Amino acid sequence: MHIAFITLLAAATEETAKAGKSIGLGVGGGLGAVGAGVGIGIIFGKAIEAITRQPEMRDEITQLQWLGFALTEACFFYGLVAGLLAAFIV
Amino acid sequence: MSAAVSQTPQHGGEPAPASKIKRTLLILLAVWIGGMVALFLIFGSGGRNNSYQPQNEFKLDNWVHLGIFSINKAVLYLFLAAIATCVSMIYIAARMHARPNKVQTAVEALYQLMRDNITGGNLDEKMAKRWFPFIGTLFLFIMFSNLVGYIPLPTNTEHKIDVLGLHIPSFSLYAATANLSIPLVLALLVFFSYTFEGIRAKGPIGYLKGLVPGGVTGGMAVAIFFLEVLSNFMRILSLTIRLFANILAGHLIILFMAGALAVILGVSALAWFTIPFGILLFAFEVGLVAALQAFIFATLTAIYLGGAVAEDH
Repeated sequence: MHIAFITLLAAATEETAKAGKSIGLGVGGGLGAVGAGVGIGIIFGKAIEAITRQPEMRDEITQLQWLGFALTEACFFYGLVAGLLAAFIV
Repeated sequence: MSAAVSQTPQHGGEPAPASKIKRTLLILLAVWIGGMVALFLIFGSGGRNNSYQPQNEFKLDNWVHLGIFSINKAVLYLFLAAIATCVSMIYIAARMHARPNKVQTAVEALYQLMRDNITGGNLDEKMAKRWFPFIGTLFLFIMFSNLVGYIPLPTNTEHKIDVLGLHIPSFSLYAATANLSIPLVLALLVFFSYTFEGIRAKGPIGYLKGLVPGGVTGGMAVAIFFLEVLSNFMRILSLTIRLFANILAGHLIILFMAGALAVILGVSALAWFTIPFGILLFAFEVGLVAALQAFIFATLTAIYLGGAVAEDH
């Protein structure tokens, strides 16, 4: 009885660790995507606003827009890398 | 609008072009979903496949041992990118024509982007002249090593295919920049370049003083100084992870969409379902991400260099 309980507990602990890793990956990837998605939306929205207001600045705004896009998108990858670390390495 | 057109064919005979496109799309969609259902009914589920390890696609096997160094897949891709960089600039620049052909036009457009936008837009004239070769080479090298990564090359020595008795490695995608060490080395190079340039312009003490923005004094200046030093080191990390994770994530998602998901889960119908997404993502990665990441890396290098020599922060 006692041994069986310990085995069960050990199995449960293992399952919990697995679940924790999955949650880490999900939160890292998922919440990272949420934040970066909002940021990218804001960047493109503002760029469209700026271009409609000043069409002659189009080239300069486009360049800045892509810079901002890539910097924001990178934040998603920070979350994803942290999630992958949690899932596969820790 | 197109729905209204397709509901009322004007002359009865030839359908309007909009409805023709719509019909083709509907047929494609039907083939896609019908094919998936048919494949699932024929082959069913083979159960989970544990023998296939997707991380082995990124494993580096030593091919040639050279003491503490070795030549592996990443080194091969580095060589390819270096050759592409040299050829695109030296070979084509040596054969400039007054009436450019398509390749020359593309190279000229790249050169103009590097000179006017990346370097010229972020640095003053003297600095731009001095650092243009470095930044231009960084841009081209990263772009080519990203792009070479999307060409299937026979580099997967784990799985071999037999062609007329020859064991040739199967074709696979890999990019040198999808390996952490290469972006890290490039980022360190950038870090030392701009620190060196800042120290040369202002002297060691002046450079450290220049980290604190003007007008901040007392205890606040000390706190901001440590923050700025920390953020300088974070730049290495952010440059590295941005490039590495973008390319790695692109390769991973193409791998999974192009069939790894179906192989792991053992459901062959899934491959039929995911392959259109795989093709779309491949086009997105080749068309936008490869060049954009190189552009970002080079632009940030120029911004950091400009910031290091700027008089007031």
